[in-house]
Amino acid sequence: MAKAKQIKEVVPGVRFVREAGGISEYELESNGLQILLAPDTATPVVGVMVTYCVGSRNEATGYTGATHLLEHLMFKGSKNFNKDNGGIMSNLLENKGARINATTSYDRTNYYEIIPKELLATSLAFEADRMQHAFIHESDRVTEMPVVRSEFEIFENRPDFVLTKEIWATAFQAHPYHHEVIGWRSDIEKVPIERLQQFYRDFYRPDNATVTIAGDLDVRETLAMVARAFGEHERPEAPLPPMYTTEPSQEGERRVVVKRAGDTNLLGIGYKIPEATHADLPALLMLSLMLTDGKTSRLYRALVDAGIATDAAAECYQLRDPALFMIYVTLAPKRTHESVERLLKAEIAKIVSKGVTASELTRAKQTVRAYIAARRDGPYALLSAINEEIASGDWTRFVTFPEALAKVTPKQVQAVAKKYLVEDQSTVGYFVAKGL
Amino acid sequence: MSHDFSTVREYTLAKGGRLLLAPTSARDLVVIEGSVYGGPNMLPRERAVLPALAASLLDAGTTKRSKAALREALAAKGISLSFSAAGDRTLFSGQCFPEDLQALLKTVVECLSQASFPEAEVKNAKTLAHGALAEEKSKTRARAERALAALIYDEGHPNHLRSIEADERGVQSLRRADFQKFRTQLGRGGLIVSIAGDVTPTVAKAAVEKAFAPLSKGTETPSPKTLNTKVPGARETLVPIADKANIDVVMGVSLPVTLAHPLYHPLLLVVDALGGGFTSHLMQTIRDRDGLTYGVYARLSGVRADTDGYLKINASFTPDRYAESVQKLRDEIALFLSEGMTDVVLEETKARMIGSYLVALATTESMATALHSLGIQGQPLSYLGEYTDILRRITLAEARAAAALIDVDKLALAASGTFKKK
Repeated sequence: MAKAKQIKEVVPGVRFVREAGGISEYELESNGLQILLAPDTATPVVGVMVTYCVGSRNEATGYTGATHLLEHLMFKGSKNFNKDNGGIMSNLLENKGARINATTSYDRTNYYEIIPKELLATSLAFEADRMQHAFIHESDRVTEMPVVRSEFEIFENRPDFVLTKEIWATAFQAHPYHHEVIGWRSDIEKVPIERLQQFYRDFYRPDNATVTIAGDLDVRETLAMVARAFGEHERPEAPLPPMYTTEPSQEGERRVVVKRAGDTNLLGIGYKIPEATHADLPALLMLSLMLTDGKTSRLYRALVDAGIATDAAAECYQLRDPALFMIYVTLAPKRTHESVERLLKAEIAKIVSKGVTASELTRAKQTVRAYIAARRDGPYALLSAINEEIASGDWTRFVTFPEALAKVTPKQVQAVAKKYLVEDQSTVGYFVAKGL
Repeated sequence: MSHDFSTVREYTLAKGGRLLLAPTSARDLVVIEGSVYGGPNMLPRERAVLPALAASLLDAGTTKRSKAALREALAAKGISLSFSAAGDRTLFSGQCFPEDLQALLKTVVECLSQASFPEAEVKNAKTLAHGALAEEKSKTRARAERALAALIYDEGHPNHLRSIEADERGVQSLRRADFQKFRTQLGRGGLIVSIAGDVTPTVAKAAVEKAFAPLSKGTETPSPKTLNTKVPGARETLVPIADKANIDVVMGVSLPVTLAHPLYHPLLLVVDALGGGFTSHLMQTIRDRDGLTYGVYARLSGVRADTDGYLKINASFTPDRYAESVQKLRDEIALFLSEGMTDVVLEETKARMIGSYLVALATTESMATALHSLGIQGQPLSYLGEYTDILRRITLAEARAAAALIDVDKLALAASGTFKKK
C-alpha cells in the first residue's frame, strides 16, 4: 500500500484505488479509465488486455451479434495505425511474435496482446488509438460480415452449440441472454454500419474500459505509459446507455427439441440461477464441480461409468445478470432422452434429499486450488481470469471468490441444489439425431 | 527478446529414460508430460484402435487398487491424470501440487505396470468408443481429415487413417485378453518424462527415479517405418453430411520430409508464412481480402524422426460459395509458393516464429509439452535454445528450395458438409 502511494506521487494524473491479491487498481483521473497491474518478472513477456463492459447483453432485436461484429471491425485500422500510414498494428505486432486476438461474451468484449516486453508502449498506443479512433467503415463491414457469418456457420455445425442456443432462447424471453453472443444470422448479415458506429460511440469509452497489464513490468513506467497513451481521451458527458430489462419470473418447466441429421443424441437442462455476485454462487459452483468434474464426480459415475452416456458436463454461468446452471449429457448409443433425463434428475434428487459428503466437498476444493494455481500461470491466464471478474461487475472477486469457495459447506451445497435445481425453473432440451 | 533456459535440466535415469525438468515461476503447480513405447504404429492396422482404448482403461483399476480407490485417491489430492496413445507411444499427462509429485508419479507407474482391465470396464470402454465414433460421423472436420489421410497415404503408412466403419469393427473385435497382452509392452522402453512448474530439480529427479524403478523393460524399440508409397495426385473426395451450415475443406500433399531432412526448418517457415497466423498469406487473402472464410490455416503435419509428413491446409467455407472458395484457395496457394517467398516475407516470418515460440513458452503447461516433444523428437536439450538460431540462419534460397518441395498440382482435397446440388 505504501509503495502504491509513492507511485501515485510520481505519476501525475493517476490515482491509486486499492490492492488485492497482488493486483493494484488505479484510475486515470482525467477520464475514469480503470487500470489494473499484476507484475511478474519471471518471463520476458507482458500481457495487455483491454476489457470493455459491453457484450451481447447490450444488444436487442435487429442488432444481435453487433458486439461481436464490431470486435472484428476493430482490427481494420484506426487513425494512427492503418494501412496508409505504416500498416495495421495488430499485424505488425503479430509479425514480431505477439499473440493477438479479441473475444466477445455476454457481458464484455476484450482485446489482448501477449508481447515481448519491449513492445508494451506500442501495444498501449495501439489500444488507446482504437478505443476512440477506430475506422468502422462500410467497406470493411462488407468484407468482414461473411467472415463472421462463416464463424456462425462453424458454430451452427455443432449439436452442443445448437442445443445450448435453443435452451437459452427458451429460458430467457425478455432479457438479451435470450440470444447467443454471435447473434442471429439475419442480424449478422443485415445490421447497418450506422448501428455499429453508434454502438462503438456508446460503449468504447475510457470510463467503460479496464486496461489490465500482467507480466514483466515496471509499475511506475507502465502507469506513465498508460497515462500517455490513454490520457488524450476525454471523459464522455453522456451516461452509458442503461440495460434495464429484467427477465420475468419463470412459471413452470419449459422444453425444447431440435432435430437434425446426426448419430449422437444430447440432453441439456438449464436451471435459473442468480447473478455472479450473489451470495449463493460459491455453493452453486461447488455443486457443478461435484456433479461433473473428474471421474469421481456424481454424474460421471452414474452415467458415463455406467455406459449410459459418453460425456456429462455442468457449467455454473457467472454473469452480470441472473443466468443458467447448465447440465449437458451426451447419450451413449441406443439410450433414449427420456430414460437419461430420469436418471439425471434422480441424481439431482439424491443431492437435494441427502446432501453431499464431506469428501466430495474436499475433492471439489482441491479442484479449486488447482484452478487458482493455473490461472496465474502466464500472463494470458491471469488476464483472462481477471477479465471475467471485471465483466461480472467487481474485479476483486478474483480474490474474494476463491475465499468464499473455501468456506462453502456441504449443507450450503444441498441448500442451493434444493433452491435452484427445481423443475419449474428449468428448461429441458433434447437434440434428437435423425440418423445420417 | 530472449528466454532464459539455463534452469532447464536433463537427466538420464539410472535404469534408462530421459528426464527433462523446468522449474518455472508458477506457484503450487506442477505439470508432467511423459510417454513410453506402445502405440498404434506398433500393432497391425486392424488393431490400431487398441492402444487408445487401453490408455483410457489404465486408471480403471489395477491389481493393487480398484478403480474407485485409485481415482478417489487422486481426486482427494487434486491430482489430474490422463493417458492417451498416438504414433509409437502411450502417453501420460498430469498436474498436481508440489507435495504430491511422488504420489502422481507412483500412480502413473502403477497404471502402466499393473492395470487390470476388468471385464466390465472393457465393455464400458467399448460402448464409449462406439459413442465417440458415432459422434465423429457428423463432424465435418474430422470426416474431411480422415478422407484426406486416406487420399494421400498408403494403408501401411503411420499417417494413414482408416474409415470410421473400420475402427468400429476394430473396437467390436477387442477382448480383455488383448488389453492385458498390450499392457505387457508398456515399460521403460522409450521412457521420456518432462516436469515443469513449482519443482526443485534434485527433489523431482529423486522422485522420478524412485517411482519409475519398478517399471519393467517393455518394448524397447519403435516399429520400423517405410516411407509413403502412394503417388501424389490431385485426388478429391467429398463426404456429404446433411443439415450442415458450413463445409470443412482439408487439402494436402505428402512430402518426402522427416525431421532429419536438411530443408525441414525452411519448410516449417514456408508453411508458417503460407498459413500460420493472421498475417500469413492465406489469412490475408482468403479471409481478410475476400471474406471467404473465418479461418484458413496451413501446417506441416505428421513429420517425425522416422516418418515423412505432409502439408495440410484447413478452411471452412459457406456452401453457397464452395466452388469459388476452393478455386481461390488453390490459386493463392500456387501464387504464394511460386512468388511469395521474398526477403521481406522471410524476415517477417522469422521474427513472428521466434517471438511466438518464446511467448508460447511463458506457461508451465506449454514448457512441459515442449520438453516432452523435444524428447519424442530425439532432440538434445540444447535444441530448446538453438531452435531460434536455426530459424534466424535460414536463407531465402533455402526457403525457396523448401517451397519447391510442394507440388501444388498434386494437392489432394477432401471436403465434408452439405453440398449444394449443381
